[in-house]
Amino acid sequence: MRVKYVLSEVLVGLWRNVTMTIAMIITMAVSLTMLGASGLIYTKVADMKELYFENIEVSIFLDNEVTEQQKADIQAKLDADPLVQEATLVNKDEAYKRFQEMFRDSPDLLSAVKPDVLPESYRLKLVDPQQYKAISDQYTNVEGVDQVVDQSRVLDKIFNLFTAGQNIALVAAIAMAVAALLLVANTIQVAAYSKRREVAVMKLVGASNWFIQAPFVLEAVVAGLIGSVIGLGALIGLKVFLFDGALSALQGLFAPVSWSEVFLTFPAMAAVGGLISAITAWVTLRFYLRV
Amino acid sequence: MTKTYPKASRPSLDNVSVSIEKGEFVFFIGPSGSGKSTIIKMLLHEVSPNKGRVIVNGKDVTSMRSWKRPHFRRSIGCVFQDFRLLPNRTAYENVAFALEVIGKTKAVARRVVPEVLELVGLGGKEHRYPHELSGGEQQRVAVARAFVNRPLILLADEPTGNLDPDTSIEIMRLLDRINRTGTTVVMVTHDSNIVNQMRRRVVEIESGRIVRDQARGVYG
Repeated sequence: MRVKYVLSEVLVGLWRNVTMTIAMIITMAVSLTMLGASGLIYTKVADMKELYFENIEVSIFLDNEVTEQQKADIQAKLDADPLVQEATLVNKDEAYKRFQEMFRDSPDLLSAVKPDVLPESYRLKLVDPQQYKAISDQYTNVEGVDQVVDQSRVLDKIFNLFTAGQNIALVAAIAMAVAALLLVANTIQVAAYSKRREVAVMKLVGASNWFIQAPFVLEAVVAGLIGSVIGLGALIGLKVFLFDGALSALQGLFAPVSWSEVFLTFPAMAAVGGLISAITAWVTLRFYLRV
Repeated sequence: MTKTYPKASRPSLDNVSVSIEKGEFVFFIGPSGSGKSTIIKMLLHEVSPNKGRVIVNGKDVTSMRSWKRPHFRRSIGCVFQDFRLLPNRTAYENVAFALEVIGKTKAVARRVVPEVLELVGLGGKEHRYPHELSGGEQQRVAVARAFVNRPLILLADEPTGNLDPDTSIEIMRLLDRINRTGTTVVMVTHDSNIVNQMRRRVVEIESGRIVRDQARGVYG
Protein backbone atom coordinates (compact mmCIF):
# COMPACT_ATOMS: atom_id res chain seq x y z
CA MET A 1 0.00 0.00 0.00
CA ARG A 2 2.66 2.47 1.02
CA VAL A 3 4.81 1.67 -2.00
CA LYS A 4 1.78 2.20 -4.21
CA TYR A 5 1.07 5.49 -2.46
CA VAL A 6 4.64 6.71 -2.91
CA LEU A 7 4.73 5.71 -6.59
CA SER A 8 1.44 7.37 -7.41
CA GLU A 9 2.68 10.51 -5.63
CA VAL A 10 5.82 10.41 -7.79
CA LEU A 11 3.83 10.23 -11.03
CA VAL A 12 1.40 12.93 -9.92
CA GLY A 13 4.35 15.08 -8.88
CA LEU A 14 6.13 14.69 -12.21
CA TRP A 15 2.96 15.43 -14.13
CA ARG A 16 1.84 18.39 -12.02
CA ASN A 17 4.91 20.34 -12.98
CA VAL A 18 5.47 18.84 -16.38
CA THR A 19 7.33 21.76 -18.01
CA MET A 20 9.86 21.83 -15.21
CA THR A 21 10.12 18.05 -15.35
CA ILE A 22 10.94 18.21 -19.06
CA ALA A 23 13.50 20.97 -18.52
CA MET A 24 15.04 18.90 -15.75
CA ILE A 25 15.20 15.78 -17.93
CA ILE A 26 16.69 17.61 -20.93
CA THR A 27 19.48 19.32 -18.99
CA MET A 28 20.16 16.08 -17.20
CA ALA A 29 20.30 14.21 -20.54
CA VAL A 30 22.67 16.73 -22.15
CA SER A 31 24.91 16.76 -19.12
CA LEU A 32 25.05 12.98 -18.96
CA THR A 33 25.67 12.68 -22.71
CA MET A 34 28.64 15.03 -22.37
CA LEU A 35 29.86 13.06 -19.40
CA GLY A 36 29.50 9.77 -21.27
CA ALA A 37 31.21 11.17 -24.36
CA SER A 38 34.06 12.51 -22.31
CA GLY A 39 34.42 9.15 -20.60
CA LEU A 40 34.49 7.38 -23.97
CA ILE A 41 37.08 9.79 -25.36
CA TYR A 42 39.18 9.25 -22.27
CA THR A 43 39.25 5.47 -22.65
CA LYS A 44 39.81 5.79 -26.42
CA VAL A 45 42.78 8.11 -25.97
CA ALA A 46 44.25 5.69 -23.46
CA ASP A 47 43.68 2.78 -25.87
CA MET A 48 45.22 4.64 -28.76
CA LYS A 49 48.22 5.80 -26.78
CA GLU A 50 48.96 2.23 -25.88
CA LEU A 51 48.47 1.12 -29.45
CA TYR A 52 50.66 3.79 -30.96
CA PHE A 53 53.37 3.96 -28.36
CA GLU A 54 53.97 0.24 -28.69
CA ASN A 55 55.01 0.72 -32.30
CA ILE A 56 56.58 4.09 -31.95
CA GLU A 57 60.23 4.60 -32.65
CA VAL A 58 62.75 7.31 -32.16
CA SER A 59 65.20 7.62 -35.03
CA ILE A 60 68.67 9.02 -34.68
CA PHE A 61 69.87 10.05 -38.12
CA LEU A 62 73.63 10.15 -38.57
CA ASP A 63 75.68 12.65 -40.53
CA ASN A 64 76.67 11.53 -44.00
CA GLU A 65 80.31 12.01 -43.07
CA VAL A 66 80.06 9.99 -39.88
CA THR A 67 83.24 8.07 -39.02
CA GLU A 68 83.34 4.47 -37.91
CA GLN A 69 84.71 5.59 -34.56
CA GLN A 70 81.76 7.96 -34.00
CA LYS A 71 79.32 5.21 -34.94
CA ALA A 72 80.95 2.84 -32.48
CA ASP A 73 80.77 5.51 -29.77
CA ILE A 74 77.10 6.10 -30.41
CA GLN A 75 76.41 2.38 -30.46
CA ALA A 76 78.20 1.97 -27.14
CA LYS A 77 76.36 4.90 -25.64
CA LEU A 78 73.00 3.51 -26.79
CA ASP A 79 73.79 0.05 -25.49
CA ALA A 80 74.62 1.49 -22.09
CA ASP A 81 71.60 3.78 -21.99
CA PRO A 82 68.99 2.61 -19.47
CA LEU A 83 66.23 4.43 -21.38
CA VAL A 84 66.83 2.44 -24.54
CA GLN A 85 65.38 -1.01 -24.86
CA GLU A 86 66.70 -1.84 -28.27
CA ALA A 87 68.73 0.01 -30.87
CA THR A 88 68.95 -1.15 -34.47
CA LEU A 89 71.29 0.31 -37.02
CA VAL A 90 69.70 0.96 -40.37
CA ASN A 91 72.52 1.18 -42.90
CA LYS A 92 72.34 2.89 -46.26
CA ASP A 93 71.09 -0.20 -48.11
CA GLU A 94 68.29 -0.83 -45.68
CA ALA A 95 67.37 2.81 -45.62
CA TYR A 96 67.15 2.72 -49.38
CA LYS A 97 64.95 -0.36 -49.27
CA ARG A 98 62.61 1.38 -46.87
CA PHE A 99 62.66 4.43 -49.01
CA GLN A 100 61.74 2.38 -52.08
CA GLU A 101 58.96 0.78 -50.17
CA MET A 102 57.56 4.08 -48.97
CA PHE A 103 57.65 5.82 -52.32
CA ARG A 104 56.98 2.94 -54.67
CA ASP A 105 54.23 4.97 -56.31
CA SER A 106 56.64 7.76 -57.28
CA PRO A 107 59.20 6.26 -59.67
CA ASP A 108 60.57 9.74 -60.53
CA LEU A 109 61.59 10.29 -56.98
CA LEU A 110 63.03 6.81 -56.71
CA SER A 111 65.22 7.23 -59.70
CA ALA A 112 66.48 10.58 -58.46
CA VAL A 113 67.65 9.22 -55.14
CA LYS A 114 70.69 6.99 -54.85
CA PRO A 115 71.34 4.77 -51.82
CA ASP A 116 74.36 6.97 -51.00
CA VAL A 117 72.25 10.03 -50.34
CA LEU A 118 70.20 8.47 -47.60
CA PRO A 119 71.65 8.81 -44.12
CA GLU A 120 72.26 5.91 -41.83
CA SER A 121 70.18 5.88 -38.69
CA TYR A 122 69.56 4.10 -35.41
CA ARG A 123 66.02 3.09 -34.70
CA LEU A 124 65.35 3.00 -31.00
CA LYS A 125 62.75 1.27 -28.97
CA LEU A 126 62.47 3.08 -25.67
CA VAL A 127 61.77 1.46 -22.36
CA ASP A 128 59.26 4.20 -21.67
CA PRO A 129 58.05 5.84 -24.90
CA GLN A 130 57.21 9.05 -23.02
CA GLN A 131 60.92 9.60 -22.35
CA TYR A 132 61.80 10.64 -25.88
CA LYS A 133 62.59 14.20 -24.79
CA ALA A 134 65.51 12.98 -22.67
CA ILE A 135 66.81 10.91 -25.57
CA SER A 136 66.60 13.78 -27.98
CA ASP A 137 68.40 16.09 -25.51
CA GLN A 138 71.20 13.56 -25.03
CA TYR A 139 71.92 12.63 -28.60
CA THR A 140 71.25 15.73 -30.69
CA ASN A 141 74.67 17.20 -29.92
CA VAL A 142 76.67 14.02 -30.04
CA GLU A 143 79.40 13.99 -32.71
CA GLY A 144 78.16 12.36 -35.89
CA VAL A 145 74.44 12.80 -35.20
CA ASP A 146 72.47 14.84 -37.67
CA GLN A 147 69.08 14.94 -35.94
CA VAL A 148 66.83 13.01 -33.60
CA VAL A 149 63.33 12.50 -34.93
CA ASP A 150 60.54 11.32 -32.73
CA GLN A 151 57.30 10.02 -34.19
CA SER A 152 55.51 10.42 -30.92
CA ARG A 153 55.75 14.21 -31.12
CA VAL A 154 53.43 14.20 -34.07
CA LEU A 155 51.12 11.82 -32.28
CA ASP A 156 51.18 13.95 -29.18
CA LYS A 157 49.64 16.77 -31.15
CA ILE A 158 46.78 14.49 -32.17
CA PHE A 159 46.35 13.26 -28.63
CA ASN A 160 46.33 16.81 -27.33
CA LEU A 161 43.46 17.48 -29.69
CA PHE A 162 41.55 14.52 -28.26
CA THR A 163 42.32 15.53 -24.71
CA ALA A 164 41.13 19.05 -25.46
CA GLY A 165 37.90 17.60 -26.86
CA GLN A 166 37.53 15.47 -23.78
CA ASN A 167 38.08 18.47 -21.51
CA ILE A 168 35.55 20.56 -23.42
CA ALA A 169 32.99 17.75 -23.08
CA LEU A 170 33.80 17.47 -19.39
CA VAL A 171 33.45 21.21 -18.77
CA ALA A 172 30.16 21.23 -20.69
CA ALA A 173 29.03 18.23 -18.64
CA ILE A 174 29.84 20.01 -15.39
CA ALA A 175 28.15 23.25 -16.48
CA MET A 176 25.03 21.37 -17.52
CA ALA A 177 25.17 19.34 -14.32
CA VAL A 178 25.11 22.57 -12.30
CA ALA A 179 22.10 23.76 -14.32
CA ALA A 180 20.41 20.39 -13.82
CA LEU A 181 21.16 20.54 -10.11
CA LEU A 182 19.55 23.98 -9.75
CA LEU A 183 16.55 22.83 -11.76
CA VAL A 184 16.14 19.80 -9.53
CA ALA A 185 16.37 22.00 -6.43
CA ASN A 186 13.80 24.40 -7.87
CA THR A 187 11.43 21.65 -9.00
CA ILE A 188 11.57 20.02 -5.61
CA GLN A 189 10.86 23.32 -3.88
CA VAL A 190 7.85 23.92 -6.10
CA ALA A 191 6.65 20.36 -5.50
CA ALA A 192 7.11 20.71 -1.75
CA TYR A 193 5.30 24.04 -1.78
CA SER A 194 2.34 22.64 -3.69
CA LYS A 195 2.12 19.84 -1.16
CA ARG A 196 2.83 21.95 1.93
CA ARG A 197 -0.54 21.19 3.53
CA GLU A 198 -0.10 17.46 3.16
CA VAL A 199 3.44 17.70 4.46
CA ALA A 200 2.32 19.74 7.47
CA VAL A 201 -0.34 17.16 8.33
CA MET A 202 2.08 14.30 7.80
CA LYS A 203 4.60 15.88 10.15
CA LEU A 204 1.87 16.55 12.69
CA VAL A 205 0.51 13.03 12.81
CA GLY A 206 4.00 11.52 12.91
CA ALA A 207 4.66 10.18 9.42
CA SER A 208 8.27 9.07 9.26
CA ASN A 209 10.75 11.36 7.56
CA TRP A 210 11.56 8.94 4.77
CA PHE A 211 7.88 8.61 3.99
CA ILE A 212 7.51 12.37 3.69
CA GLN A 213 10.66 12.74 1.60
CA ALA A 214 10.45 9.63 -0.57
CA PRO A 215 7.98 10.94 -3.17
CA PHE A 216 10.02 14.09 -3.75
CA VAL A 217 13.38 12.34 -3.86
CA LEU A 218 12.05 9.62 -6.16
CA GLU A 219 10.52 12.25 -8.40
CA ALA A 220 14.00 13.70 -8.94
CA VAL A 221 15.59 10.27 -9.31
CA VAL A 222 13.07 9.20 -11.95
CA ALA A 223 13.78 12.40 -13.90
CA GLY A 224 17.53 11.73 -13.57
CA LEU A 225 17.14 8.15 -14.81
CA ILE A 226 14.99 9.21 -17.77
CA GLY A 227 17.71 11.77 -18.51
CA SER A 228 20.37 9.06 -18.50
CA VAL A 229 18.32 6.85 -20.85
CA ILE A 230 18.03 9.78 -23.27
CA GLY A 231 21.76 10.34 -22.82
CA LEU A 232 22.41 6.72 -23.81
CA GLY A 233 20.24 7.27 -26.87
CA ALA A 234 22.31 10.32 -27.77
CA LEU A 235 25.56 8.36 -27.45
CA ILE A 236 24.15 5.59 -29.65
CA GLY A 237 23.20 8.28 -32.16
CA LEU A 238 26.71 9.73 -32.00
CA LYS A 239 28.24 6.33 -32.68
CA VAL A 240 25.91 5.46 -35.55
CA PHE A 241 25.81 8.79 -37.33
CA LEU A 242 29.09 10.45 -36.46
CA PHE A 243 31.59 7.74 -35.72
CA ASP A 244 30.40 4.93 -37.97
CA GLY A 245 28.92 7.37 -40.46
CA ALA A 246 30.64 10.67 -41.13
CA LEU A 247 33.99 9.77 -39.60
CA SER A 248 34.19 6.19 -40.91
CA ALA A 249 36.95 7.23 -43.34
CA LEU A 250 39.22 7.84 -40.38
CA GLN A 251 38.60 4.43 -38.88
CA GLY A 252 42.19 3.30 -39.37
CA LEU A 253 43.34 6.24 -37.30
CA PHE A 254 41.00 5.84 -34.36
CA ALA A 255 40.66 2.90 -32.10
CA PRO A 256 37.09 1.78 -32.81
CA VAL A 257 34.32 2.47 -30.29
CA SER A 258 32.53 -0.80 -29.64
CA TRP A 259 28.88 -1.21 -28.72
CA SER A 260 29.80 -2.76 -25.42
CA GLU A 261 31.76 0.37 -24.50
CA VAL A 262 28.77 2.55 -25.36
CA PHE A 263 26.43 0.41 -23.29
CA LEU A 264 28.89 0.14 -20.42
CA THR A 265 28.82 3.91 -19.99
CA PHE A 266 25.08 3.66 -19.27
CA PRO A 267 25.33 2.33 -15.69
CA ALA A 268 27.78 5.13 -14.91
CA MET A 269 25.50 7.75 -16.45
CA ALA A 270 22.44 6.35 -14.69
CA ALA A 271 24.27 6.24 -11.36
CA VAL A 272 25.54 9.80 -11.71
CA GLY A 273 22.14 11.09 -12.87
CA GLY A 274 20.20 9.28 -10.18
CA LEU A 275 22.62 10.07 -7.41
CA ILE A 276 22.97 13.77 -8.21
CA SER A 277 19.18 14.09 -8.35
CA ALA A 278 18.63 12.19 -5.14
CA ILE A 279 21.24 14.11 -3.16
CA THR A 280 20.07 17.48 -4.48
CA ALA A 281 16.46 16.69 -3.71
CA TRP A 282 17.31 15.41 -0.26
CA VAL A 283 19.44 18.43 0.64
CA THR A 284 16.76 20.79 -0.72
CA LEU A 285 14.14 19.08 1.44
CA ARG A 286 16.35 19.30 4.52
CA PHE A 287 16.36 23.07 4.13
CA TYR A 288 12.88 23.48 2.81
CA LEU A 289 10.80 21.09 4.92
CA ARG A 290 13.14 20.81 7.88
CA VAL A 291 12.30 17.16 8.18
CA MET B 1 11.71 25.39 32.17
CA THR B 2 12.65 28.54 30.30
CA LYS B 3 12.34 29.34 26.62
CA THR B 4 13.77 32.44 25.00
CA TYR B 5 13.30 32.87 21.29
CA PRO B 6 16.22 34.43 19.44
CA LYS B 7 15.84 38.22 19.12
CA ALA B 8 13.19 38.30 21.87
CA SER B 9 13.78 40.84 24.64
CA ARG B 10 12.23 38.67 27.33
CA PRO B 11 11.73 34.94 27.65
CA SER B 12 8.54 33.52 26.19
CA LEU B 13 8.34 31.17 29.14
CA ASP B 14 10.21 32.11 32.30
CA ASN B 15 10.93 29.36 34.79
CA VAL B 16 7.61 27.64 34.26
CA SER B 17 6.95 24.34 35.96
CA VAL B 18 3.75 22.43 35.38
CA SER B 19 2.84 18.82 35.88
CA ILE B 20 -0.19 17.28 34.19
CA GLU B 21 -1.46 13.87 35.26
CA LYS B 22 -2.64 11.19 32.89
CA GLY B 23 -6.31 11.63 32.05
CA GLU B 24 -6.48 15.25 33.19
CA PHE B 25 -8.25 18.06 31.35
CA VAL B 26 -6.25 21.28 31.57
CA PHE B 27 -6.88 24.77 30.24
CA PHE B 28 -3.98 27.10 29.58
CA ILE B 29 -5.29 30.65 29.52
CA GLY B 30 -3.71 34.05 29.24
CA PRO B 31 -3.45 37.02 26.89
CA SER B 32 -1.85 36.80 23.46
CA GLY B 33 1.91 36.45 23.61
CA SER B 34 1.85 35.13 27.13
CA GLY B 35 3.59 31.93 26.10
CA LYS B 36 0.66 29.49 25.95
CA SER B 37 1.36 28.34 22.42
CA THR B 38 5.02 27.85 23.23
CA ILE B 39 3.95 25.19 25.71
CA ILE B 40 2.06 23.32 22.98
CA LYS B 41 5.08 23.57 20.68
CA MET B 42 7.32 22.16 23.36
CA LEU B 43 5.00 19.26 24.03
CA LEU B 44 5.17 18.52 20.30
CA HIS B 45 8.96 18.78 20.30
CA GLU B 46 8.73 21.57 17.78
CA VAL B 47 10.84 23.83 19.97
CA SER B 48 13.12 22.95 22.85
CA PRO B 49 13.56 24.87 26.09
CA ASN B 50 16.82 26.72 26.72
CA LYS B 51 16.72 25.56 30.30
CA GLY B 52 14.85 22.78 32.02
CA ARG B 53 13.21 19.64 30.71
CA VAL B 54 10.00 18.63 29.02
CA ILE B 55 8.78 15.16 29.91
CA VAL B 56 5.89 13.66 27.95
CA ASN B 57 4.51 10.18 28.59
CA GLY B 58 7.47 9.51 30.84
CA LYS B 59 9.98 10.31 28.09
CA ASP B 60 12.39 13.21 28.24
CA VAL B 61 11.53 15.11 25.08
CA THR B 62 14.27 17.68 25.57
CA SER B 63 17.04 15.26 24.73
CA MET B 64 15.09 13.39 22.07
CA ARG B 65 16.81 13.11 18.69
CA SER B 66 14.87 14.65 15.85
CA TRP B 67 14.63 11.36 13.96
CA LYS B 68 12.62 9.94 16.85
CA ARG B 69 10.16 12.81 16.67
CA PRO B 70 7.77 11.23 14.11
CA HIS B 71 7.20 8.16 16.23
CA PHE B 72 6.79 10.29 19.35
CA ARG B 73 4.13 12.43 17.62
CA ARG B 74 1.98 9.38 17.02
CA SER B 75 1.12 9.38 20.71
CA ILE B 76 -0.16 12.96 20.54
CA GLY B 77 -3.20 14.27 18.72
CA CYS B 78 -3.46 17.89 17.65
CA VAL B 79 -6.30 20.28 16.92
CA PHE B 80 -5.85 23.87 15.79
CA GLN B 81 -7.90 27.01 15.44
CA ASP B 82 -7.65 26.83 11.63
CA PHE B 83 -8.58 23.11 11.39
CA ARG B 84 -5.72 22.35 8.95
CA LEU B 85 -7.73 19.96 6.84
CA LEU B 86 -6.71 19.01 3.30
CA PRO B 87 -9.19 20.83 1.05
CA ASN B 88 -9.04 18.30 -1.79
CA ARG B 89 -9.94 15.35 0.39
CA THR B 90 -13.25 14.34 1.92
CA ALA B 91 -13.84 14.07 5.65
CA TYR B 92 -13.22 10.34 5.42
CA GLU B 93 -10.06 10.78 3.36
CA ASN B 94 -8.71 13.44 5.70
CA VAL B 95 -8.95 11.09 8.64
CA ALA B 96 -7.76 8.08 6.66
CA PHE B 97 -4.77 10.08 5.43
CA ALA B 98 -3.50 10.42 9.00
CA LEU B 99 -3.64 6.64 9.34
CA GLU B 100 -2.16 5.76 5.99
CA VAL B 101 0.87 8.03 6.25
CA ILE B 102 1.94 6.28 9.43
CA GLY B 103 1.75 2.93 7.71
CA LYS B 104 -1.73 1.66 8.55
CA THR B 105 -3.39 -0.30 5.79
CA LYS B 106 -6.50 0.77 3.90
CA ALA B 107 -8.34 -2.11 5.56
CA VAL B 108 -7.60 -0.68 9.00
CA ALA B 109 -8.75 2.75 7.80
CA ARG B 110 -12.01 1.30 6.46
CA ARG B 111 -12.71 -0.18 9.87
CA VAL B 112 -11.58 2.65 12.13
CA VAL B 113 -12.42 5.85 10.27
CA PRO B 114 -16.24 5.47 10.09
CA GLU B 115 -16.18 4.59 13.78
CA VAL B 116 -14.36 7.73 14.81
CA LEU B 117 -16.42 9.93 12.45
CA GLU B 118 -19.51 8.51 14.11
CA LEU B 119 -17.98 9.31 17.49
CA VAL B 120 -17.48 12.98 16.61
CA GLY B 121 -21.02 13.15 15.26
CA LEU B 122 -20.29 13.25 11.54
CA GLY B 123 -21.97 9.97 10.64
CA GLY B 124 -23.41 10.36 7.14
CA LYS B 125 -21.11 13.21 6.15
CA GLU B 126 -18.02 11.12 5.46
CA HIS B 127 -17.88 12.03 1.81
CA ARG B 128 -18.27 15.79 2.11
CA TYR B 129 -15.32 18.01 1.29
CA PRO B 130 -14.21 20.56 3.89
CA HIS B 131 -15.77 23.45 1.95
CA GLU B 132 -19.10 21.63 2.09
CA LEU B 133 -18.98 21.47 5.88
CA SER B 134 -19.63 24.17 8.49
CA GLY B 135 -16.80 25.41 10.71
CA GLY B 136 -17.98 23.27 13.59
CA GLU B 137 -18.15 20.20 11.36
CA GLN B 138 -14.69 20.89 9.97
CA GLN B 139 -13.33 21.07 13.50
CA ARG B 140 -15.02 17.74 14.22
CA VAL B 141 -13.16 16.23 11.31
CA ALA B 142 -9.95 17.68 12.75
CA VAL B 143 -10.75 16.17 16.15
CA ALA B 144 -11.51 12.83 14.49
CA ARG B 145 -8.16 12.98 12.72
CA ALA B 146 -6.37 13.81 15.96
CA PHE B 147 -8.11 11.05 17.85
CA VAL B 148 -8.15 8.26 15.27
CA ASN B 149 -4.78 6.89 16.44
CA ARG B 150 -6.05 6.80 20.03
CA PRO B 151 -3.32 9.13 21.28
CA LEU B 152 -2.50 9.40 24.97
CA ILE B 153 -2.63 13.18 24.78
CA LEU B 154 -4.81 15.55 22.80
CA LEU B 155 -3.43 19.05 22.34
CA ALA B 156 -5.93 21.71 21.32
CA ASP B 157 -4.65 25.16 20.37
CA GLU B 158 -7.65 27.50 20.53
CA PRO B 159 -9.92 24.93 18.91
CA THR B 160 -12.96 27.17 19.29
CA GLY B 161 -11.26 30.36 18.13
CA ASN B 162 -13.05 30.37 14.79
CA LEU B 163 -16.41 29.10 15.97
CA ASP B 164 -19.58 30.70 17.30
CA PRO B 165 -20.49 30.10 20.98
CA ASP B 166 -23.03 27.32 20.39
CA THR B 167 -20.73 25.40 18.07
CA SER B 168 -17.89 25.94 20.52
CA ILE B 169 -19.86 24.26 23.25
CA GLU B 170 -20.52 21.27 21.02
CA ILE B 171 -16.82 20.94 20.31
CA MET B 172 -16.12 21.17 24.04
CA ARG B 173 -18.61 18.39 24.72
CA LEU B 174 -16.75 16.32 22.17
CA LEU B 175 -13.38 17.03 23.82
CA ASP B 176 -14.92 16.18 27.16
CA ARG B 177 -16.11 12.87 25.79
CA ILE B 178 -12.67 12.13 24.49
CA ASN B 179 -11.21 13.03 27.86
CA ARG B 180 -13.53 10.52 29.51
CA THR B 181 -11.96 7.74 27.43
CA GLY B 182 -8.79 8.36 29.43
CA THR B 183 -7.09 10.72 27.01
CA THR B 184 -5.28 13.65 28.57
CA VAL B 185 -6.57 16.90 27.04
CA VAL B 186 -4.47 20.06 27.07
CA MET B 187 -6.28 23.05 25.67
CA VAL B 188 -5.05 26.57 25.09
CA THR B 189 -7.84 29.12 24.89
CA HIS B 190 -9.03 32.70 25.18
CA ASP B 191 -12.64 31.70 25.57
CA SER B 192 -13.73 32.68 29.09
CA ASN B 193 -17.23 31.37 28.52
CA ILE B 194 -16.02 27.88 27.88
CA VAL B 195 -13.55 27.80 30.72
CA ASN B 196 -16.23 28.95 33.12
CA GLN B 197 -18.68 26.32 31.96
CA MET B 198 -16.29 23.39 31.98
CA ARG B 199 -14.94 23.92 35.46
CA ARG B 200 -11.70 22.08 34.92
CA ARG B 201 -8.14 22.76 35.99
CA VAL B 202 -7.01 26.20 34.82
CA VAL B 203 -3.39 27.33 34.47
CA GLU B 204 -3.10 31.05 33.80
CA ILE B 205 0.04 32.39 32.20
CA GLU B 206 1.06 36.00 31.95
CA SER B 207 4.28 37.26 30.40
CA GLY B 208 5.76 33.80 30.49
CA ARG B 209 5.00 33.15 34.14
CA ILE B 210 2.36 31.02 35.79
CA VAL B 211 0.15 33.34 37.83
CA ARG B 212 -2.55 30.86 38.77
CA ASP B 213 -3.02 27.09 38.82
CA GLN B 214 -6.44 26.12 40.03
CA ALA B 215 -8.39 22.88 39.99
CA ARG B 216 -11.99 23.42 38.85
CA GLY B 217 -11.12 27.02 37.97
CA VAL B 218 -12.86 29.83 36.14
CA TYR B 219 -11.48 32.28 33.59
CA GLY B 220 -10.40 35.00 35.85
